[in-house]
Amino acid sequence: MTDFEGLLGTLVRHDVAFIVVGGAAAIAHGSVRLTSDLDIVYQRSAANLDRLVAALAAYHPYLRGAPPGLPFRWDRVTLLRGMNFTLVSSLGEIDLLGEIPGGGTYEDLRPGAVSLSVFGMECQCLSLPQLIRAKRAAGRPRDLEVLAELELIEEEAGAEES
Amino acid sequence: MEPAEHEKDPVVEAYKKDLDRTLLRENLKLSVEERFRKAMELARFAEEMRRAGQRVRPRQP
Repeated sequence: MTDFEGLLGTLVRHDVAFIVVGGAAAIAHGSVRLTSDLDIVYQRSAANLDRLVAALAAYHPYLRGAPPGLPFRWDRVTLLRGMNFTLVSSLGEIDLLGEIPGGGTYEDLRPGAVSLSVFGMECQCLSLPQLIRAKRAAGRPRDLEVLAELELIEEEAGAEES
Repeated sequence: MEPAEHEKDPVVEAYKKDLDRTLLRENLKLSVEERFRKAMELARFAEEMRRAGQRVRPRQP
């Protein structure tokens, strides 16, 4: 089981620039659906990659689903060679995304993101409209049911405001 | 809140009819932290049920 508090805690403590996206962002906005991992969009500056490496190093990140024993090195060079990484760690599963369909990079998403106050810390999370746009752009059949729930949450929030 | 602008998708609209709005409304009353803690509790429960299912399932020859 993924320890959301532990993962968010180490990212925040190491001052990593990231935005919570995907199922965890949906939970933050009120979704009742289960998610097994933490998805984040991370900033790809050299300094931030170093912070990300430091934040997760103690938790032994490894490629999820890959056979054991692969020469996977958790360092800045590895992060520079790729964009999206689906990892398992001793704190659970975490997906590191350089960009997402319907949203773009950290820099694209940051202005519209909302500040999340959770587990005694502050972190950035996709706003509900951003999340809906991203799910719509992903366009996978399994996203349609999620989209239905997110739109209902938006309707409920709108009804509460009016 | 600024809603995401989009055209209505008939498949999404069909899914909406089957969603439990009361469940969503109750969840929206919780704080963000309470929503995460509830999700982690559910995940723990699901994992436990999965393990229990494996124990009672007859072993394949």
